[in-house]
Amino acid sequence: MSIKLSDEKKEENVMKAKRLFFAGTAAAAAFCMSAVAGAEVPTIDSINVGEDYQDITATVKILTNRTDIVDTVYKGYAEQFMELYPNITVEYEAITDYEESLILRLPTGDWGDICFIPTSVNKDELSTYFIPLGDFETLDPVYNFVQDKSYDGQVYGIANGGTASGVVYNKRIWEEAGITELPTTPEEFLEDLQTIKDNTDAIPLYTNFAAGWTMGAWDAYIGVAATGDPDFMNYTIVHAKDPFADRGDQTGPFAVYYTMYEAVKRGLVEEDPASSDWESSKGRMNSGEIATMVLGSWAVQQCKDAGSTPDDVGYMPFPITVDGKRYAGAGGNYSFGINNQTSEEQQTAAMVYMKWLLEESPIYADEGSIPALKSGDLPDALADFEGVELLADNPAPAGEETLFNEVNNESEVGINNNDYPDCEILEAALYDSSSLEDIMADWNEKWSEAQEYCGVEVFE
Amino acid sequence: MNSQMTVPKEKKTFKQWFGSRKVQKWVIITTFMFLPLFLLILFTYIPFGKMIQFSFYKMKYIGPRTFVGWKNYIDVFKRSECFKSLFVSLYYMGGAIVQLALALFFATLMVFKVKGSGFYKGAMFFPYLICGIAVGFIFKFFYARGYVLDSILQLFGVAAEDCPMWLQDLKINNISLAATSVWRYTGQNMILFLGAMMSVDTDLYEAAYMDGANKWNQFKSIILPSIKSIVVLNLILSISGSLSAFEPPYVITNGTMGTGTYFVIMNRLAHENQKVGLACAMAIVLLLIIVVCTVAQKLFFKYAFDDGTDDESKAAVRKRKKAEKAARKAAKGGMA
Repeated sequence: MSIKLSDEKKEENVMKAKRLFFAGTAAAAAFCMSAVAGAEVPTIDSINVGEDYQDITATVKILTNRTDIVDTVYKGYAEQFMELYPNITVEYEAITDYEESLILRLPTGDWGDICFIPTSVNKDELSTYFIPLGDFETLDPVYNFVQDKSYDGQVYGIANGGTASGVVYNKRIWEEAGITELPTTPEEFLEDLQTIKDNTDAIPLYTNFAAGWTMGAWDAYIGVAATGDPDFMNYTIVHAKDPFADRGDQTGPFAVYYTMYEAVKRGLVEEDPASSDWESSKGRMNSGEIATMVLGSWAVQQCKDAGSTPDDVGYMPFPITVDGKRYAGAGGNYSFGINNQTSEEQQTAAMVYMKWLLEESPIYADEGSIPALKSGDLPDALADFEGVELLADNPAPAGEETLFNEVNNESEVGINNNDYPDCEILEAALYDSSSLEDIMADWNEKWSEAQEYCGVEVFE
Repeated sequence: MNSQMTVPKEKKTFKQWFGSRKVQKWVIITTFMFLPLFLLILFTYIPFGKMIQFSFYKMKYIGPRTFVGWKNYIDVFKRSECFKSLFVSLYYMGGAIVQLALALFFATLMVFKVKGSGFYKGAMFFPYLICGIAVGFIFKFFYARGYVLDSILQLFGVAAEDCPMWLQDLKINNISLAATSVWRYTGQNMILFLGAMMSVDTDLYEAAYMDGANKWNQFKSIILPSIKSIVVLNLILSISGSLSAFEPPYVITNGTMGTGTYFVIMNRLAHENQKVGLACAMAIVLLLIIVVCTVAQKLFFKYAFDDGTDDESKAAVRKRKKAEKAARKAAKGGMA
């Protein structure tokens, strides 16, 4: 056995040397690795974590954007897993500026085994970089948010849990201001902020403008929360004429941006948005210096951890009511994907760890997010969402998977990927330089041009 | 034996040929050149060539590309924000002038004997050693409401509510940002000036002093003419640097509130909107703008501040030419 192994190794080395001689280093190394191994990679649903694949020896490298907890919490998960699978070594690498670095590293094939799939990888490009994890039909009933990273009936990534979109608020401050019922419309919300400004010392709404992405976070509410339509983000908005126009009933994307614009205009935000600071804002939310922040549910746990009064931090649905019903969007976090340029053995080991992380690890309780498994329980943080319908965005119809991204990028409105247009709304309100109607008309115009450019059928 | 004698040239072995002076010279030249040239071509010219190629495509970083010809370039000129952002660069150019003046001032102070000049030099040069991103973060908190700058002003009796919003007030936020790059580069310019000033013969100062020249006269008539070329060089570098200002607005304000420079806009198009081809075209347009600016400056300095040759000042040349012309004219007149 040992002789055979060493022969194999020799062969591998010879091959490697030959290839290295003729071709570029990274590509050749990847090629050799995939040429040598034999076994088929299983689908994720067929793996029995804790029992199967105990004999695999591999080192699995995971890329993550969480520079803050990579050496503490994530390392802890890796250690727990390695107790179960002593032959598999799990290493984490945290990357600042995750999206941009990964886009440059992915095409080389030589980046590791598991990563969070960057949002700018289109659905039809998933198979270029990642292995399929199983059929959509089989995995969809088991895991949340798989449609996000599915293409052609195959699933390439599973979300690391998910978040519901709502508003972080300090319960104590809202009560002290004398507010007993949570707002259900943008106007009510703005009135409540005014009440907070009049009755307490807290900053009613902290925009975190300087961080940039915190402004982009407002885009998360224009879909399900503002329209109650799970098809909105992947279908309706792509085909709609003037999707950003004022609907007149305090719903739709306009209502979301109206909330931001008016809050700034009425002076209900921090005095100097340009010098706001994200890190300290979490602690100030905890202590009650800040009453409200519009951010995804993942922020709740971080605000709770940032001070001594975690119980004051609450989470409410975004204040929009569509035809008498409240909705909240739920969506996946970054999805895990597995490198298709490594050996089958590596890929199998990676998949075992991924499954353990998704199903057995305490990661979702720790982060207060919606668990990856559909059978898991909602976290406590979402208690205020009682009676609110949680809906995930539906996938785009077949053949239109990339259409939203194309129109979105071409128009530069940049829903969910470019923060700058949202920043412009705040600037316009702050300097009183243009009305929200003008900005939205501009967005509509850009959107229509992009629709025309991409050859999208527009429904009146 | 005989035949050997008649052959005029002995056929050289490879070793002899290789050992000859001429070949050795070329071998040494190529081997020494290889590494720097290889690195230069690999990391500068190939990427640059690729960038030119990309500028003719509609593409993302990953995924398919379509050839679109000159469309990206036409778009650059059609988009209002691209060239509007060049106006923001004017603030940085203004900053560059202030920075050069300050650097000249401090360098001149240092060149005359000053106690602890080594410490001052080090302290002034230090900001240049900090990476630009860190400088950005330093000033982010420096300018933040109620932080460093506001506290200092309050020590001097300025009321908290009278402090301007350094990053938000459209009248001053670009000045605030340009000031950070002045802070960063003044020391480096100063060291360059100082180096040039050191080469001035100190006897000249003494002679000038004897003739009753004060420090200002010495600066104007001895130092400035001697370091003219380095001043021009610094000016050109600073102006082209201000056209491509990036770090302060990117880190401190993210290009919001009207502080987006050309580079920030370009970065946003490439990374947030994934319009890589368009951003490449913008980069090449900026390159052309910088080339034009540099050539214009060179020409300007050549004609406006040309002081002639070493032997004769420009004014003297002009005077001599004028006199020659008058003499010719007079001679002509005499003939007629």
